[in-house]
Amino acid sequence: MPEPTATLLTTSLVDVARLGSGLGAVYRALDLVVDRYGLDDAALVVEVPGLGRQVLHAGRRPIGDDETHLHDAPEGLHTQPPLDEPVVAELLLALGALALRYDARPDPGGTAVPGESA
Amino acid sequence: MSLDELELELRRLRGVLAVGFQESDGLLLVELQAGPDAYPELARDATLIANQGAVGPVAVEVVRWGDRASAPRETRLRLVEITNDPAVGQLQVRLALGDDEGVGRASTDHGLLAPVEATVAAIRVFLPDLRFLPGWARLVETTPDRRFLVVASVTDPDTQEHRRGAAEGASPVAAATRATLAALNRTIALDLAPLL
Repeated sequence: MPEPTATLLTTSLVDVARLGSGLGAVYRALDLVVDRYGLDDAALVVEVPGLGRQVLHAGRRPIGDDETHLHDAPEGLHTQPPLDEPVVAELLLALGALALRYDARPDPGGTAVPGESA
Repeated sequence: MSLDELELELRRLRGVLAVGFQESDGLLLVELQAGPDAYPELARDATLIANQGAVGPVAVEVVRWGDRASAPRETRLRLVEITNDPAVGQLQVRLALGDDEGVGRASTDHGLLAPVEATVAAIRVFLPDLRFLPGWARLVETTPDRRFLVVASVTDPDTQEHRRGAAEGASPVAAATRATLAALNRTIALDLAPLL
């Protein structure tokens, strides 16, 4: 499997955000939430200008038959078991939206972000 | 190409909702979950991108989901129970559709293929004309917390069309049963709908 650009899972979330990709930062954040709260699983559903509806599953694992119905799930953080931390959920959703907009820039070398008004 | 770049390229393809990766025995399995606006050539384009971006052999599975309104979740078969009777060497899989249940049985002599056979047999209770036959099942990973990841395959002998699914479970048998359902549930959803 190709190596993640943000390298090691031990890299801090802040370092990933500084040096790595948006995707890498979101996955690192999901790993952190799973680890800190002792969750079985987590996924983020986010609408991103330019990419549309996106589902990110912790560990980049396949969703398979989607037994947890992430296809139909509303935007937000979805965990097993459910996590009652609305601020964490909102921050993760914001991070996901911003990070994917950053990654999906038409010109990765430039500064424009899809969905930004001119 | 890094894993992030590969995933992003795949997510740029129209209709792609999610991308997942699973590596086993040197094979990288790339799973794409695609929504109703996915286009017919998505699998071809994804395979091209995955082969360019990955090192080593790659298998791409595209999981297509239709219009949410036309494929309600209730049209899926639900796993009710797996029982194993060592005295008679028989594995039994019980599935449900709404309030109806179907049971499939297979000999445990067949190892990890038995749950695939029993699951297909249980599906035939609802859909006697199911064209897929049990193929194989393979344990691809045991996690540190003793969860088992299994890939199962079923085949249409007339068209040589394969359906593969991957699933986790508390045992290899449970994972293989769920993997078989994962392989077939989407295919049979439209056929199941009139039964509800």
